[in-house]
Amino acid sequence: MEQLWAAPAALTVREVHERLAGTRELAYTTVMTVLDRLAKKKLTERERDGKAWRYRAAAPREELAADLMRDALDRAGDRREALVRFVGQVSDEEAALLREALSKLDDQEQTG
Amino acid sequence: MTTPVLLAVLALVLTGPAPALLARSDWPYRVPRAAVILWQAIALAAVLAALGAGIALSYSIAGRPGEPRFDPSSARDLVAAAILAMVALVVVRLLWAIGRVAVGTRARRKRHRDLVDVLATPDGLIPGLRVLAEETPLAYCLPALRGARVVVSVGALERLDDSELKAVLAHEQAHLRARHDLVLEEFTALHHAFPRWVRSDVALEQARTLVELLADDDARRRNGPRPLARALVALAGSPAPEAALAAAKSSTVLRVQRLAGPAPNESTLSAVTYAAAAVLLILPTITIAAPIVKAIVDAVS
Repeated sequence: MEQLWAAPAALTVREVHERLAGTRELAYTTVMTVLDRLAKKKLTERERDGKAWRYRAAAPREELAADLMRDALDRAGDRREALVRFVGQVSDEEAALLREALSKLDDQEQTG
Repeated sequence: MTTPVLLAVLALVLTGPAPALLARSDWPYRVPRAAVILWQAIALAAVLAALGAGIALSYSIAGRPGEPRFDPSSARDLVAAAILAMVALVVVRLLWAIGRVAVGTRARRKRHRDLVDVLATPDGLIPGLRVLAEETPLAYCLPALRGARVVVSVGALERLDDSELKAVLAHEQAHLRARHDLVLEEFTALHHAFPRWVRSDVALEQARTLVELLADDDARRRNGPRPLARALVALAGSPAPEAALAAAKSSTVLRVQRLAGPAPNESTLSAVTYAAAAVLLILPTITIAAPIVKAIVDAVS
């Protein structure tokens, strides 16, 4: 995926494989499978070029990251059940209550 | 004629005053596990009672014992059939909502997981952990039958020390293990199944808070209350992106205050809560079944 983002134009499986060969030992078929899977997930787009497929990232990395964050922070509103976040943000007033509760806990730790 | 009235009253009490009262009390937070069961029992009993009221009403209108055949020329029979059809409609609507929420949630989660898998880096600390290169402090989990993920942002890692991070991960893993998402899904489906003017989000909000408490209790048993409370404060107290501030009133204060108190050990209260849940489920069932049983007994003797 990094290679596709870095490349200016669409790449064939062979080109991706060559670019990866410098850093990692990967079989040609592995690269092919991964690219195929990414296309099925609509993270890449592909077009026929003679016998081979040419792959291109469906969107720039920043755009996908923004998508992810929008989904994670749930700007959509009412679909919170898909992700369960550890904790949401609180108001100033609540933050004060939080600090109070925490110091109470710290006191217990020292006395107990 | 008493059965449908009784059931209708029960359904109304269970959709209106009972949830409102329960949401205002503090004691359910002391026994989150039993409280989740009680909320589920209330929801299920309300549905059963409402459907039972419709069925019983239909029978009591049409019901002339010994004349079970449907007579299209009789107005009473037509009304009875119309009521039965409405009951069926409600059932279909409920099932449709459950299906739609299940499919929608899974599709969204899968897309999100695909994005996480190309954008975030795996970390071997716990299975399924992914670290996201984002400054916004974030920690959440993506539940799944296979290939569940726990996602933590770099911003969150910077704000947590080792023990706090462990507490956060224990909390998220508790969510994943117990499949708390399924509990929330039920309440979401129920919420969407009913028209806007009868539904309230009390049950869904309460369920959200209670599963957080459950995961907190799990993390507390593993690492003690302090790292978790500190982690909550560290992540919640950070400057919020403007959009996240719009979120509903948080349960964070409740959670931290609860961690500051003694560890919950309320076996009596939880037993009573479980018993209440059982009674709630049995009540509408008996009310529906009793006249049928009586009719059978009468027919036999």
